[in-house]
Amino acid sequence: MRGLTVLRLLAFLAAAVAIAPLIGVVAAAFGDGRADIAAADLVRYALTSMALAFLVGLSTAVLGSVSAWLVVMHSFPGRNIFAWALALPLAAPAFAVAYAYADLFDVAGELRTWMRAVPGLDWGPQMRSLPGAAFVLSLAFYPYVYLTVRAALVNQSSQAIEAARSLGCSPTQALVRVALPLLRPALAAGVALAVMETLADYGAVQFLSVQTLTTGVVRSWFVYGSLEAAARLALPLLGAAALLLWIERLSRKGRTDEAARARWRPIQPTPLEGGRGLLALAFCIGLLTLGLFLPAGWLAIKALDISPDWPRLVRAASHSLGLGLGGAIATVILATCLALSAERMPFTARISSLGYATPGAVMAIGLLAPASLLWQNVPGAVSGLGVGLLLLIYAYAARLMAAALEPVEAGLTRVTPSMVSAARTLGRSETGAALAVRLPIASGAMLTAVLVVFIDVVKELPATLILRPFNVDTLAVIADNYARDERLPNAGWPSLMILALTLPAVIWLTRKITASRPGDLNGRH
Amino acid sequence: MHMRTNIIMSIGLAALLVACGQGETPAPDKAGAGVVNLYTARHYDTDAALYARFTEQTGVQVNVIEGNADQLIARITSEGAASPADLFVTADAGALWRAQNANLLQPVTSEVLTAAIPANLRDPEGRWYGLNRRARIIAYDSTKVQPADIDTYEEIASPRFRGKLCVRSADSVYNLSLVGALIEAWGPERTGAWTRGVVANMARPPEGGDRDQIRAVNAGVCEIALTNSYYYIRMANSDDAADRDVTTRVKLAFPSLDGQGAHVNISGGGVAANAPNRANAIRLLEFLASPEAQTMVSAGNNEFPASPNVPAPPPTDAYANFKAHPMSVATYGPRQAEAQSLMSAAGWR
Repeated sequence: MRGLTVLRLLAFLAAAVAIAPLIGVVAAAFGDGRADIAAADLVRYALTSMALAFLVGLSTAVLGSVSAWLVVMHSFPGRNIFAWALALPLAAPAFAVAYAYADLFDVAGELRTWMRAVPGLDWGPQMRSLPGAAFVLSLAFYPYVYLTVRAALVNQSSQAIEAARSLGCSPTQALVRVALPLLRPALAAGVALAVMETLADYGAVQFLSVQTLTTGVVRSWFVYGSLEAAARLALPLLGAAALLLWIERLSRKGRTDEAARARWRPIQPTPLEGGRGLLALAFCIGLLTLGLFLPAGWLAIKALDISPDWPRLVRAASHSLGLGLGGAIATVILATCLALSAERMPFTARISSLGYATPGAVMAIGLLAPASLLWQNVPGAVSGLGVGLLLLIYAYAARLMAAALEPVEAGLTRVTPSMVSAARTLGRSETGAALAVRLPIASGAMLTAVLVVFIDVVKELPATLILRPFNVDTLAVIADNYARDERLPNAGWPSLMILALTLPAVIWLTRKITASRPGDLNGRH
Repeated sequence: MHMRTNIIMSIGLAALLVACGQGETPAPDKAGAGVVNLYTARHYDTDAALYARFTEQTGVQVNVIEGNADQLIARITSEGAASPADLFVTADAGALWRAQNANLLQPVTSEVLTAAIPANLRDPEGRWYGLNRRARIIAYDSTKVQPADIDTYEEIASPRFRGKLCVRSADSVYNLSLVGALIEAWGPERTGAWTRGVVANMARPPEGGDRDQIRAVNAGVCEIALTNSYYYIRMANSDDAADRDVTTRVKLAFPSLDGQGAHVNISGGGVAANAPNRANAIRLLEFLASPEAQTMVSAGNNEFPASPNVPAPPPTDAYANFKAHPMSVATYGPRQAEAQSLMSAAGWR
């Protein structure tokens, strides 16, 4: 029993870490400050936020599921590489993709200048616009849909589709009438993740001059000097985040992959011959090019023009790496405690995920509230490097709990009650059973969670910007500083170094996920 | 626990320790000697040399947190009385006013500072001091616009430039400060009409930063653009040939406000209200106001020195010979909310 209490205490600690910022925002909203923001502007901000979420949701749904369907159900040249490579754009921070596209298609940029010289060619997409922002974020976030839909496709086994085919359905009919309905839960979960990331985005949307509710939050806070009014504006955003989480949860109830596991057989891919194979190849290459190679390549070309301040960048890279690993491990430990106790306190586990979908500016309000209590009440806390790093790691845990909780919980579902009972019969305590049986089985999932959170921390901006201690910059912070000074080539180097840190993690992660099969205990999260 | 997880965790903890070790432990000196904690929204590659020079002269170590002004203000506010912030440095009098308005700055009287910085470039109560100066002016397409077409701020909003103006968002504190200055000079009604004229003149909805507006003039999107002076000077002297090319066609005009000169703003700093190292904060502020530091910053970021007695270094000197409006920059901030509301009502996004 004593051990159980420790576990539960840790779970409560995890929940407290995650929930404190949200309480901070709600508490601030009850003050009576005012901001004179015109109602018409607020309506416009809200509509823009909704339109952006809708556009990104729609296009990630299409891009993610089409690419997963191509790669799982068909064979074509390069299929085995694309199976993991299609997730690579996860490594690129959305703000860096935004820098690259805004510059590449800028009306005064090299490309458009060159095009203007050719009669009839003077056209280019307007990246600094709502559709432009939707384009950039869709490319950055489609891998979430790809990975969830792919996992669902692999897991659903070939039986349902083969049955449909043997009953006379064409491949397309089998897709529309059988596979898609079965995939709906996974699709909804993936899209919910992409939309949550869209709402939480900090940097890309602002850089692309798109004014969303976040603009209203920042204006109220700083131009009109009212934290209270800013927090009130943040409340609907928190509501939207909660709604998305609820959708993601609800969609999970319909998942049927457990039933198919016993008689799972791999899907026999349909070969795509000739032109159709080339078309599939072109689609995958196109997606990867737009999502990673083109923006990274353009930043590299721009970055080559300048010689960066290497010592500073290397120091920042070591901070990014250290904070990434520290933040990831702390978050996963807390998330694991939450997940182990999730049956007893399901609501707590859910609400701990809210930070993931909370916009950066809103999270800044929330994170500063508990930080402020610490700074003002603990002597020396405000300038201690150790305290500063702990605060940052706390912030990462609060923001990214959901990203760790999801895979760890999925991993723990592999542990059947009979396994735990067996351990108890053999004399283990409940905590003993957790350590001896549940954690080893979920360890693969925990590693997945570490990788996911590591990638997110290295790309993280708002919490790092506002909470970091003296003389500690991360690559993301330096990139943001340069971009704000309108020095894009300088922002290119730290952006590319972020990629150098996250790409190996993404490759490890996706190979790990794509190599797994149902029934494989250490594999799929 | 699984072996692999163990290994990952060990690596993580090791990396964290390494990262900590590289943080160059700041720990403010309780005795008030030795360190100064700088919260700055100015970040240039020349900063490191600047702080090293200060340390060399005084032995005082400089700890730095960089960020944008609003983040730093939010942070100092949250730190409250325990804040280690000694000196707050940022661009734009409007941003300094936000810190002042949040009660984050304390009055400082220093003969060195009052001698170095003209009265209209500092807070009358000494809560902040301008250190360098910039003008918010016009970049124009010299193939289509004569300098005489654009020698006043009224002309920016005149029908002559319908659909021919590029300007950034109303969220920019540079624009808020300019409109605040116009309210000071003209009153809200006339300024409101001006903002409506500006919106009518926009060639496109506001997007990007000042540099983007200058480049858009070169690309033929618009004929005139509102910009801070240093962005243009930086482009004219850039290592990038494409940037330099822009400035052969696009030229810089210094419009005059009511015949008294161009709208100027500052980058500057103030001593934090709860500064634990107050004496060192004042020393650093005085150092930043010294002719040497003004020149170093000016050479690094192409702002003009704040002090009339400090000549601008090349290449900025070529643009330094303009008439600046004598209005106190301290008037901009209090007008900020009113300016935002006027711009918003006019449809300036």
